[in-house]
Amino acid sequence: MDTPNKSQCAIDVQNLTVGYGSNILMQNLNFTVNYGEIFVILGGSGCGKSSLLKNLFGLYQPLSGDVLIEGQNITTAAGAERQKIMTSFGVMYQQGALFGSMNLLDNVTLFMQEYTQLTQGQMDLLARCKLDLVGLLPYESYMPSEISGGMQKRAAIARAMALDPKILFLDEPSAGLDPITSADLDSTIQDLSKNLGITFIIVSHELASIYAIADKVIMLDKGAQGIIAEGDPKVLRDTSKDPRVHQFFNRIMSKDAA
Amino acid sequence: MSNSATISAVSDAPVAVWSQVDANNAKVLMSGNVNVYSLGGIWTQIRDSQDVWLKQGDGKSKSLTFDAGKVTFLDGAGIAFLIGIEEAQTTAGAKFDVVGLDPRYEPLLSEFNPIGNLFPVPVVKPKRSFVVSTGMAAQNLIDDAIGLITFTGHLASDLAWSIRYPNQVRWGDFVNAAVQAGIAALPIVGLVAFLIGVILSFQAAIGMQQFGAVSFVGPLAALGIVREMGPLITAILLAGRSSAAFAAEIGTMTVNSEVDALVSGGLSPIRFLVVPRVLAGILVAPILTLFADIVSIFSSMLTMLIYGIPFINFYNGMLSAVDIEDISSGLIKATLFGVVISAVGCLRGMQTGNGAAAVGISATRAVVSSIVLIVLVDGIFAFISYKTGF
Repeated sequence: MDTPNKSQCAIDVQNLTVGYGSNILMQNLNFTVNYGEIFVILGGSGCGKSSLLKNLFGLYQPLSGDVLIEGQNITTAAGAERQKIMTSFGVMYQQGALFGSMNLLDNVTLFMQEYTQLTQGQMDLLARCKLDLVGLLPYESYMPSEISGGMQKRAAIARAMALDPKILFLDEPSAGLDPITSADLDSTIQDLSKNLGITFIIVSHELASIYAIADKVIMLDKGAQGIIAEGDPKVLRDTSKDPRVHQFFNRIMSKDAA
Repeated sequence: MSNSATISAVSDAPVAVWSQVDANNAKVLMSGNVNVYSLGGIWTQIRDSQDVWLKQGDGKSKSLTFDAGKVTFLDGAGIAFLIGIEEAQTTAGAKFDVVGLDPRYEPLLSEFNPIGNLFPVPVVKPKRSFVVSTGMAAQNLIDDAIGLITFTGHLASDLAWSIRYPNQVRWGDFVNAAVQAGIAALPIVGLVAFLIGVILSFQAAIGMQQFGAVSFVGPLAALGIVREMGPLITAILLAGRSSAAFAAEIGTMTVNSEVDALVSGGLSPIRFLVVPRVLAGILVAPILTLFADIVSIFSSMLTMLIYGIPFINFYNGMLSAVDIEDISSGLIKATLFGVVISAVGCLRGMQTGNGAAAVGISATRAVVSSIVLIVLVDGIFAFISYKTGF
């Protein structure tokens, strides 16, 4: 539980190859994510962004290569070591993946019950803080099936933040949210990043949100099976010569570009 | 420092010291890395000291100062800790000040203003009286019966449609369901039928031996198997395997809005999902029953060998007791069981609520309802047999 050390990077990806069996999605990826950075993974649908994310936090085993989270290799870690790495980050899945048999408050407190010595009342207060951050405080006793899809996503973000991890993986957090909620969420992410030094790795398509929060983006391409652009999104938008990158950032239809 | 609570420190672990300056002024000195893992004991201890202190005398004149000057890191749990202390002060009408907190935490703390929202008044759910809950249970029962009757009507009309337009039935689904419910069930049906044959014969022989009537066990067991045990055992196994499988499959489709997609696309979910499965049930139940009959009778023959009854005697005795009417009565019953099992499985699947737990409930309800209906149909059949001699 050290304070974020800026010199060391939060995530270090080395020669990562992502895919399923013989179906290779991306080859030899190399990039690093610094502490406190808001790092956004971009790319068209089906290029493997979510798969890459699942490889980064160790849910899937990469075909080859290593992922170091805070200097520890998650691809080879096992047992208690692996569990320790797993508790150092939080994950929000694309569809929310809330536990359907628990209300929102219990969804958020579940991991606290397993990992902390707080009393139930203290956990409830902490969970309410998390739900308040995503604007769901009035819904704490609702079941996931009783709230809308966008609300489920926000609740999933609250659950990912339950243990105040230093790294948060968010899979399309603002997709399907209304513009106001989406902007609120962006400002919450920036606050957490700036003030607590939390590192965010976000898969997103929302250009407005990307310009607002991203410190650094990488853009993946299906054809290239790898990273085609890396850096500040605004700089990429204005200066990139790559037609694929230019098209993406300026929302140009594929037939117009050809 | 009359009242002091200190939590021992290891390196950067957080330490909180409660100190009482005088009767109305107290101070918390916090240092170190405050996070969700290390806060457990500290939180409770400080809040306990605070509660004891607040209860002494008038709260309105009391003031608590929280010195966070030596805090190296504060996470969301640390902020919740501060909010918890502040709320207790506010409730008692006392004053609360935070000094020395790194300004970078201010925006996080101000996110939660006003903090009162974080402490909702617990809602007490009104208890239902016995009369109300009984009435509601009765209403549910009626709704369920209406649902069953409506579904039966839809199913009957759609089955008739499938006879009229056999080309439009989804035969691929039918084959899948028939393989899963039928061929895949052969081993378990065979095993259970074999054992039932053995058990039935042994138990009958023990009684009959006292009257020197062991030679009648064969005809008795064979008759019992083809008329009752074969269809019933097969039906219960099918209910456990296939009814639950249909309910879980269609239930998951319901949860994923796949059934809604069929309806909004103008397709009847009964035609699309239920008809192929019910047709599969109609096909496999009698075939499995016939298979169970044969295996059971064979195992009964083997058992009676122990009692010195040769195969040929068993066979002749069986022919004198069992005729084609008995076998067809059993198979007709099995066909009805097949309809009941697959239809109830599909119905429960379509009645699934929301979420993963609902799918489990549907599968359970499918098995329970199937078995209840099997026994009910069996009872009706027994009554008809008694009246007509069929």
